[in-house]
Amino acid sequence: MLELTRIVNAASEAPVGQTPSQVVWRKNKARLLRYTRSTAATRRTPVFLCLPLINRAYILDLRPGASFVEYLLAEGHDVFLLDWGVWGPEDRGVDITTLVTAYIPRALREASRLAGEPVTLLGYCIGGALAACYLALYPSDPVKNFVLFTAPIDFADAGKFGKWTAKGVFPIDKICETFDTVPGELVGLGANLLNPASSYLGTYLQLFERMQEPGFDPSGWQAIYRWVNEGTPFPRAAYYQWITEFYQDNRLSRDHLEMDGRPVRLSAITIPVLNVAATADTIAPRPTTAVILSKVSSVDRSELMVNGGHVGIVVGRAAKQDLWPKVGSWLAAHD
Amino acid sequence: MSEQSQSNDPKEVFAMWRQLYDANEKVWSKASGEFMDTPAFAQWQGKMLETFLGFQKAWKESVTAQLEAANIATRDDLVRLGELIVGLEEKVDQIVDRLDAVAPRPAPRARDASPHTSKSVGATIARATTTTKASKNAKRAPR
Repeated sequence: MLELTRIVNAASEAPVGQTPSQVVWRKNKARLLRYTRSTAATRRTPVFLCLPLINRAYILDLRPGASFVEYLLAEGHDVFLLDWGVWGPEDRGVDITTLVTAYIPRALREASRLAGEPVTLLGYCIGGALAACYLALYPSDPVKNFVLFTAPIDFADAGKFGKWTAKGVFPIDKICETFDTVPGELVGLGANLLNPASSYLGTYLQLFERMQEPGFDPSGWQAIYRWVNEGTPFPRAAYYQWITEFYQDNRLSRDHLEMDGRPVRLSAITIPVLNVAATADTIAPRPTTAVILSKVSSVDRSELMVNGGHVGIVVGRAAKQDLWPKVGSWLAAHD
Repeated sequence: MSEQSQSNDPKEVFAMWRQLYDANEKVWSKASGEFMDTPAFAQWQGKMLETFLGFQKAWKESVTAQLEAANIATRDDLVRLGELIVGLEEKVDQIVDRLDAVAPRPAPRARDASPHTSKSVGATIARATTTTKASKNAKRAPR
């Protein structure tokens, strides 16, 4: 029992994000990381990773052997990652529009300039939705391909999150009056409530069971635990816009979204698109991820359905055998 | 005696939990999932959140009032200062954007492509600022 407690307590210090990188651009808390290659890139098209606002930068570089970044480097790509950092109260006015029009374009153009090539833009979860808005606004920017990982686009049927954040039910105004940045714990609580038995009991039972295995190394479990439990605060303006314009009004999918007075139309996207969706995703349920391919104008568009949940398909044991090679092949074919 | 010691063994306790969990997890998840999917749960959750936010807001206002009464800078004062700095950075970024539009920076040569050697107008401005500060400090430093 003591050992279990020790492993859980030490999870917040679990080594994560260990692939060497250099910071090549900064804005406010955000940083653009360029991962260090020991050899020259053999693929022409660099990969630019755009992460969700609610997670830390290490989620796609969890630990050696379980890192999507490491996989992409081994595949010969130059890899950039936009790390949003940890927002502070002084960022309460940062909204989704600012992220899409002032952060992503500058970071991505810098990545493309440094690499000397247009990039493949890969967005995960909310990061995918932001990336889609960005591409819709700046279709002539140096982006060659677009990959979405479990990115919610259509919120007409957004599952439990959709019901919990509905108008008249969710006190969004009071949340934004109270907090400068919405605490990561509050957002995490919502995610845990999607499957409380598994979140609050199954996690620890699974750990105890694995502790009985000879030679059990807890670092993998700890890294995942850290990911799930270490959220980041959400600037309140961004949170307000995300809940009201995306969840409640479903403006992106309905072609009613505007940013800086300009219409955000997914039909402006014409580059090759790969949409990755998870069969058992409760955070971005299937109806939220299904619509993107019918909205873009790309001739080359494909979809990859992967068995698993929102987190599991990206870093689970199966990710290495299933998702990564399939995405790797698509990237190679579109290099 | 031996039965009692067995039931106190954490492994045994966890094994019992595991059995209970395996036997009931699907039923619990289904039941809780269905309940949480109802408008009634969403309403209840919203009310709970509202109550919590009410306490948070009252606490925040009380602390702010005390600080103001004591003529001490409040959190909001400091946040506003931080916002000004963030806003200033955005203005610098806009200047860099304009400079880039006038004279686009070329892609680094292949041998310069490493991040160590990357140069941007912004980076050059930052470096110049650092150099200026360093030289000022050097002048002030006692010999």
